[in-house]
Amino acid sequence: MSGKIERTINELYAQDPERADAEVFGRKTSVDRRGFLGGAGLAAMGAAVGGAIPFAANMPGGLIPAAVAQPAAAPPAPAKKGPTYLSFPGKSDKLVVIGERPLVAETPEHLLDDDTTPTDKFYIRNNGQIPEQAKEPDKWKITIDGEVNNKLELTLGELKAKFKPVTRRMVLECGGNGRSFFSPPARGNQWTNGGAGCAEWTGVRVADVLKAAGVKSSAVFSGHYGADPHLSGDSKKDALSRGVPIKKLLDGNNLIVWAMNGQPLTNIHGSPVRLVIPGWPGSVSSKWFTRIWLRDREHDGQGMGQFSYRVAIKPMVPGDKADPKNFKDLESMPVRSLITSPANGTKLPAGTKEIKLRGAAWAGDLTVRQVDVSTDFGATWSRAKLEKPKNKYDWQRWTATVKLPSDGYYEVWTRGTDSKGAMQPHQAGFWNPQGYGGNAMHRIAVLVA
Amino acid sequence: MSNALKAASLALAALLLTFGAASAQPPQFVPRDENPEEFPAGAGRDDTFYACTACHGFKLVAQQGMNRRQWEDSLQWMTEKHGMPPLPDKERKVVLDYLEATFPQKAPAASGGWQNPFAPR
Repeated sequence: MSGKIERTINELYAQDPERADAEVFGRKTSVDRRGFLGGAGLAAMGAAVGGAIPFAANMPGGLIPAAVAQPAAAPPAPAKKGPTYLSFPGKSDKLVVIGERPLVAETPEHLLDDDTTPTDKFYIRNNGQIPEQAKEPDKWKITIDGEVNNKLELTLGELKAKFKPVTRRMVLECGGNGRSFFSPPARGNQWTNGGAGCAEWTGVRVADVLKAAGVKSSAVFSGHYGADPHLSGDSKKDALSRGVPIKKLLDGNNLIVWAMNGQPLTNIHGSPVRLVIPGWPGSVSSKWFTRIWLRDREHDGQGMGQFSYRVAIKPMVPGDKADPKNFKDLESMPVRSLITSPANGTKLPAGTKEIKLRGAAWAGDLTVRQVDVSTDFGATWSRAKLEKPKNKYDWQRWTATVKLPSDGYYEVWTRGTDSKGAMQPHQAGFWNPQGYGGNAMHRIAVLVA
Repeated sequence: MSNALKAASLALAALLLTFGAASAQPPQFVPRDENPEEFPAGAGRDDTFYACTACHGFKLVAQQGMNRRQWEDSLQWMTEKHGMPPLPDKERKVVLDYLEATFPQKAPAASGGWQNPFAPR
């Protein structure tokens, strides 16, 4: 793959994947668009990844082989020194920092291997500055106002005393999870799959508190607020204020939460109190929660409207200028399955004939019907053993054993299917400017040698 | 978990909240200092760096790959939605020239995507 190639492999693939296959590896996409013909190309590709590719014939045409899908080495790509790991009190130093201002860090897939995500491994997403830790948590004030019969102003202490606490294990997931798999790149934090976790949340039902406030029939939408200052420090701006239609707001699974995994919320996760509105983009689950404003119209707070947390109604050409009138809110998150063991990059001794896989899958407001795994780029699939969720919005753990016919380089792919039959695609589709809904299948590379 | 156990653990949580929070306060997170030299050289790099880092980290910028029109839209969006003062025309051109040349749409994002651990280096 040297010599006459002047452009980087990534550029080639970005411009014309099939031509890139032909130029780089002598690989021709076959009629069924799945394989390639020609032994020379296969050998070249094998040499590039450092081992044989047993199921090369099934590798989708135009898909950059895992081993060469690297950032361009030539300018103008910025110097890449590998991931930056998080250094933060109470958090795992294996989380990967996506940004520091605002602080955003994701959980590599193999760290999501616990049935319940420990707090130290839980991802971090901030939109604004991190507020000071509340000195007197039980005196923290929460307001429910707007289209209600009785405006409520409660302290956290009163909230705990007046309403029945419940504990639920539920997934929280950033709306942009999977964004980095879009092509061309979509604007925002370049999450892989690690903007998600599943913790035990303890709090009171939003619905119970709203009942006490008496929701008027004029209420159609909510606006949620937290105490985190806007990133610029501008006190007239909210870091984030999103909301949901009243039907979603009244769902009995929504909680006002003060404990995570049996411990008081830590400051970085929204202490002393946060919302957990499961199944939808995490941005509706305000941290440092202060207020729900019941509204008689769709909320227009920070992070609502235009392209924020929104997807195209009529599919658009990737990278084109988008028309705000063609956009609607992303509501339920799409189905996603992850391989949490082994880790991407695991080397196995020569002669290894099978791999035991573990993973997790979830599907926004829906459940996961089925998880399948493939070691041949999706040509054949086998069904994983899928557990039931503990409660609604819990993730579903799965296990599978896959057989390997020989030593060599393998990719293991996993594909979730939701309870309505929708499956994860090979590529992040339905491109939108800020990259929501990217739920391409998760894949890991393993080398048996 | 039994109800009694649940109640006990909740009581414990409440206790920790009451007594724990006042004492051990984890230190506030301070973002690492960035400087322009960490990012690809090019005309306008320093101006761009300081324009962007008035509000947010430059790492957020450097992980994007966009064409000029998308960079323009991003500036417009920050002005409309996040209170960014509009850049004077001359500075705006310098910034857009640098961004367009350094973080173009065709370049893969500087992080994320599918990274293969066995790729030849």
